[in-house]
Amino acid sequence: MALPLPQGLTPLEVAFVCEMEMVTVIPRQQLKSQDLIAGPTPGLRPPHRASLPLWFALLLKRQRRANILPPPWLLPSSLEKILRHETEISPDTFSPPPPHPHPISTRPAATDHLAPPFLPSSTADAPPGYLPYHWLELGDILLEACSDDIPDADRVRTLLRDLREVRMAKMRASANDLEGGGVSSFKGVGAMEIAEGRQFIVGVMDGLRKLGASREVARREREEDEGGGAGGANSDDEEMEME
Amino acid sequence: MSYYDIDAILTDAQKVPCTFELDVPSLGYLDNNAGHTLRSGTRVDLPLWLAEMLAVSAPSSSKSLVTLDIPPSLAPRVMNALKADPKSVDLRALAQHFYGLGARILELFEEEEICDVLMEGWRTRAAEISDHASNAGQGQRGGGGGVGSDGVEFLRGLDEAERGLFRVQHDSSKAIRVWMGETKKG
Repeated sequence: MALPLPQGLTPLEVAFVCEMEMVTVIPRQQLKSQDLIAGPTPGLRPPHRASLPLWFALLLKRQRRANILPPPWLLPSSLEKILRHETEISPDTFSPPPPHPHPISTRPAATDHLAPPFLPSSTADAPPGYLPYHWLELGDILLEACSDDIPDADRVRTLLRDLREVRMAKMRASANDLEGGGVSSFKGVGAMEIAEGRQFIVGVMDGLRKLGASREVARREREEDEGGGAGGANSDDEEMEME
Repeated sequence: MSYYDIDAILTDAQKVPCTFELDVPSLGYLDNNAGHTLRSGTRVDLPLWLAEMLAVSAPSSSKSLVTLDIPPSLAPRVMNALKADPKSVDLRALAQHFYGLGARILELFEEEEICDVLMEGWRTRAAEISDHASNAGQGQRGGGGGVGSDGVEFLRGLDEAERGLFRVQHDSSKAIRVWMGETKKG
């Protein structure tokens, strides 16, 4: 309370987390396996591809010891498809996130709780046509660090900017449907977009909650009164909710 | 609301009209009549925290000391204006902590309509605030604050809670812009 730290992550922190994403590199020099905290990296032998964390790949790229293979969703054809989905197919909702690589079944598994950046959503074999959680920052970082590795980088840059603008407009429109209790669906929204909108959306919802608090209290009291008056009616209500 | 929250304290310090139901000796200074008895039926503007305490306390079992009225900033005239066009109302001129006052009044009165109008107004104005906040400051190099002339009027009429919204939205979109600019520079 004394230190009003902002809620959520700052853009710098989001970008930092994003650097844990795995990307595929094509090494130009041999490098033996490195022991990192997160586990050993694969040994690099020139013509063979390998998956490395983004920060490590950026380091090798800067030293000209590897080329980064852009993820399939960052290619112009994929981005055009996503943009068409955003503007024409479903102009009101965000395009869906990539499917979970480990199918989630009714039986709980250890992989159920894997989330970005620990999902391989930006390696060379990731599915195209879906924007992963860290799309904005990953695209931005890759365009900055290795635009020579990305085919048609200028087109990609324009498409990313278009996508961002379309989705910003949707984010803004979603403020209109906010309720005190819940939100409209934010499925498919990226980490940077959340960092941008979080404080505002939380603020609007908080305001609505405060204004509606008295009504909520009144409603609860009324329900309690009714529940105390007629026990049978109350149990009926509960059954209705269960259905 | 927190005990130390300065906005909560300021909200509670806003005045609401009250009518005294009893004669109170030597409280006449409230009505510019120092040293005399405050007659019953006198209308005085009291801060919300005091008015609330007096209204709920019952010195004689039959009636309370004062009766509260809805403050003029939440009068039907204002509600109609908010219903007609939420964006054109100057809330700041009505009350500095307009929504805070509204929420406190709704705790004391059961006014479904005021509740609806306030929530709808908050939501509509929030969307407008978001637009202004994300765009403000972008045109600063050309001089001026970057807010269009029609926006200035609206932004001047924001109450404190809405100013807070404007601030957080402006800060976060600025932080993103700064970050993107930094990656460009390398």
